[in-house]
Amino acid sequence: MKLSITRDNLQQGLGAVTGTIPSKTTLPVLSNILLRAEDDRLELSGTDLDISASVSVPADVEAEGAVTAPARKLNDIARELAEAPVHLSADGEKIELECGKSHFKLFGLPEDEFPAFPEVDFDESWHMEAGRLHDLIERTSFAVSTEESRPILNGVLWQLRSDHTSMVATNGHRLAMMTEDLEDVNAPEADLIVPPKALDQVESLFDDEEEIEVARSENHLGFRSDERVVFTRLIEGPYPNYNQVIPDDNDMIATANRDALEQAIRRMAVVASDQTHRVRMEFRSDVVHFRVQTPDLGEGEDELAVDYDGEDLEIGFNANYLLEILRNMPDDDVKMSFKAPERAATFEPASGDPDYLCLVMPLRLLD
Amino acid sequence: MTRIQILPDHVANQIAAGEVVERPASVVKELVENAIDAGAERVEIELRNGGKTSIRVSDDGSGMEREDALLALDRHATSKIEEADDLQAVSSFGFRGEALPSIAAVSRFELETATGESEVGTRIRARGGKILSVDDVVRRPGTTVTVRSLFHNQPARAKYLRAASAETRSCSETVTLLALSSLRVGFRLESNGRELLELSPADTLKERVAGIWGREEARDLLSVDHTAGPIRVGGLVEKPDAARSGGRRRYLFVNGRPFSDRGLVKAVDEAYRTTVAPDVRPTFFLYFSLPPSAVDVNVHPRKAEVRFGDRSRVEEGAREAVRRRLADLESAPTMGPAAGETPESDGDGEPGEGEVAPAGEADGTRAPLPGPQASEGGGVTAGEGSAPAPSGAGEPTRAGESGGDGESQLALFMRQAQTEAGEGEDSREVTATAEAAATPDLYQVHRSYILAQTREGLLIIDQHAAHERILFEEVMRHFEGETGEASQRLLFPLTLRLSPAEYQAVEELSGLLEQVGFEVEPFGDRTVIVHASPQPHPYFDAEGCFRDMIRELTEGSELVNSARNQHEKIAKSMACQGAIKAGQPLSQEEMAELFDRLFATELPGHDVHGRPTVVRLTLEELERRFGRS
Repeated sequence: MKLSITRDNLQQGLGAVTGTIPSKTTLPVLSNILLRAEDDRLELSGTDLDISASVSVPADVEAEGAVTAPARKLNDIARELAEAPVHLSADGEKIELECGKSHFKLFGLPEDEFPAFPEVDFDESWHMEAGRLHDLIERTSFAVSTEESRPILNGVLWQLRSDHTSMVATNGHRLAMMTEDLEDVNAPEADLIVPPKALDQVESLFDDEEEIEVARSENHLGFRSDERVVFTRLIEGPYPNYNQVIPDDNDMIATANRDALEQAIRRMAVVASDQTHRVRMEFRSDVVHFRVQTPDLGEGEDELAVDYDGEDLEIGFNANYLLEILRNMPDDDVKMSFKAPERAATFEPASGDPDYLCLVMPLRLLD
Repeated sequence: MTRIQILPDHVANQIAAGEVVERPASVVKELVENAIDAGAERVEIELRNGGKTSIRVSDDGSGMEREDALLALDRHATSKIEEADDLQAVSSFGFRGEALPSIAAVSRFELETATGESEVGTRIRARGGKILSVDDVVRRPGTTVTVRSLFHNQPARAKYLRAASAETRSCSETVTLLALSSLRVGFRLESNGRELLELSPADTLKERVAGIWGREEARDLLSVDHTAGPIRVGGLVEKPDAARSGGRRRYLFVNGRPFSDRGLVKAVDEAYRTTVAPDVRPTFFLYFSLPPSAVDVNVHPRKAEVRFGDRSRVEEGAREAVRRRLADLESAPTMGPAAGETPESDGDGEPGEGEVAPAGEADGTRAPLPGPQASEGGGVTAGEGSAPAPSGAGEPTRAGESGGDGESQLALFMRQAQTEAGEGEDSREVTATAEAAATPDLYQVHRSYILAQTREGLLIIDQHAAHERILFEEVMRHFEGETGEASQRLLFPLTLRLSPAEYQAVEELSGLLEQVGFEVEPFGDRTVIVHASPQPHPYFDAEGCFRDMIRELTEGSELVNSARNQHEKIAKSMACQGAIKAGQPLSQEEMAELFDRLFATELPGHDVHGRPTVVRLTLEELERRFGRS
């Protein structure tokens, strides 16, 4: 393998793929990045066995070939290089890199040790605008569970229907769901449970304007554009029936400025318990009163004008859940709905656009 | 009609002897106590045939003039009390004035004594309480009492003596008790010419314990010093991780006097609760120091029991003293020998770190009558300032200096490293808080242990055990405050099918479970619905925890069986099942939170199974390992 490449292209390619390289691994080749020179492109690939990503950047290829190189070192070197063409060559597992007067030798591993990427057939693929996919991911994937006893909840449910698609994530205490209309997409109807880390990769690897081609095999999902590809393992199993827990009879409605609400809760969170993060909200006519009491720490109170004409309501929440939801709320005003202090509360953009809904289960209040 | 007669003295003495002298060990006790009261620096005890043939106790104390010696053989003649009022303020061992005449009444008795002031000493021989001869004798100052043929004139009592080996054991235990209460006195115990104990004067209790049972035994003991009003509790208690089940050594002393008291032993066991497995009985040596007026030691002829004016306060003092020590990180195990206890530091006469002389033992002797200032000083030492001892008092020692001075006494607790760092004046509470106050850099290893650098070295924290301690205390607080754990309503309620016994348990416990945070609805047909769960950490598996808890509460386990009530049962189970598991990766913030919350608990060094949460690796140990010391 022998090639020349601009420093920027090399940096960009390495930067895109290193995200998939596991920081700790028992399989040494996984700490390496696969470099393949072919047809005046350099293809860089990394994998942690669950998620794989590969990027191709332009290069002057003198001799085609492939090798794996230590990802972190190569990335660090590329970052420090002067602005000059980079000459990269490999003889067996010995890699040489020259840039101006800089000269490096690195020891790689043979390319055949590198795990093969999953086989996903793109003949049955569908296309989506990356920006829309990013939006779905960003507003939902934060809500996945971190607890490992129910692996299903560690993933984001991606539902594909004939004319719309939605993503849903929940940890059993709160839920986020966003739906987008789909036109002329021809996606197969499917319920896919995707690891959030893969979705992070998709978000960071593809530009908003790009069109992404998506395809699935039995247990893998592939995303690709002209120059990039991401594969991920799918999580298996039936996702809980979230539709039945979305309340349809919440008749106590409050509307508040999203930023003001977020700031008030952030202030309250400072004195909330480290463990439960509990804040108490008391809704009265056109006002919400916040109260936090934490034994051994202290208390806090605050008040915010809201649009509310329901019955008086006292309800407790984990402040962190509220903050995460408000941070992702795509509108200046947020509409909240309640039924009772022990029932689910909903949060949506007041304008109703986009089609976004978050659900939070309350914390029990005690006096 | 029989006329009432005044009994001749020797008959009265024989009757009294029945109370005081039961067996050879009681003779040893009385004679050694007299020797110590006479200011002896060294007491030698020789037994023949378990003391049945002969007991000889020699001391180098002040000795007696002839008239005093003769008077001593008179019942109720004692140099220690002059008026009945003095009984209220007795701090010497013997005072009933019964000992010598009682012993003489039931044996062939010989007493040799010299004061060092007169040129000749005195030898008195008696038999059955009757003085046979009084001679001059030349000897060094001190007293030697030889008691032969014990009970030769009381066949009924002689019959009840046990085998020589049993009597020897009993004498040996007696000497041990006395050695534990008089550190500055050297002891030698010999039986049929064989040495059983050889103890040189000790500066610290730890040294004495090491002398009696060996260095191993002393290593895992923690010094205790606690003052609650007029009560001061000092001594040594065993580290929970070193304590084993089975009969351990449990010694109590009040104002230097050994006594037994089940209530106090129970109080100490209570203090150990949750830090040791239920069947474990840790070793302890506790020395109570009270104003003499607050304790009646005259309730039992052999003074084995005492009566406290305010018993609950003494028990509370004991509990608190031990509890506080267990709250200290020093009670957590260390890797390698603890600092200051390396073999090299043996025998150089320096007291090891963390040691304290038992209160009242400042100068190795006891004042016959404590001055009033002793009780004013918080009853710290009976002997302080008025010790008439011919020796010991004159040599200021570390233990001696610290005896009556709360400040320097506390300083003894400080690790050497801290003293070197110029913090010798801190109390250990201050150190413990300071250590926990600033969260150090934390590293997780094997997703199970957290390493933390501290001023003293390195702490290794077991993340699961640490979280168990946190949860246990939290749940107990909820029960005590009758508030409930914050309970997170579940979006997808858990529907769980249980065994009939489990179902019944849930029905019975639902109120308590709710206080822990589980809102459970019995649904019939052995099915329960969990609507809400506690959220002790972000990786909490509510279903797994609930199931394991119910199973444990239904079937029992070593852990829950050790609980003393339903609340503690649930708290222990919840702590064990709900705590962060080993293998759980933690972020820096999560580790910091765990660390801070652990050190905010009452007993941060111990989980709820009787295992440590923390192992300390001291800088000294590291330096030793790397050959830097």
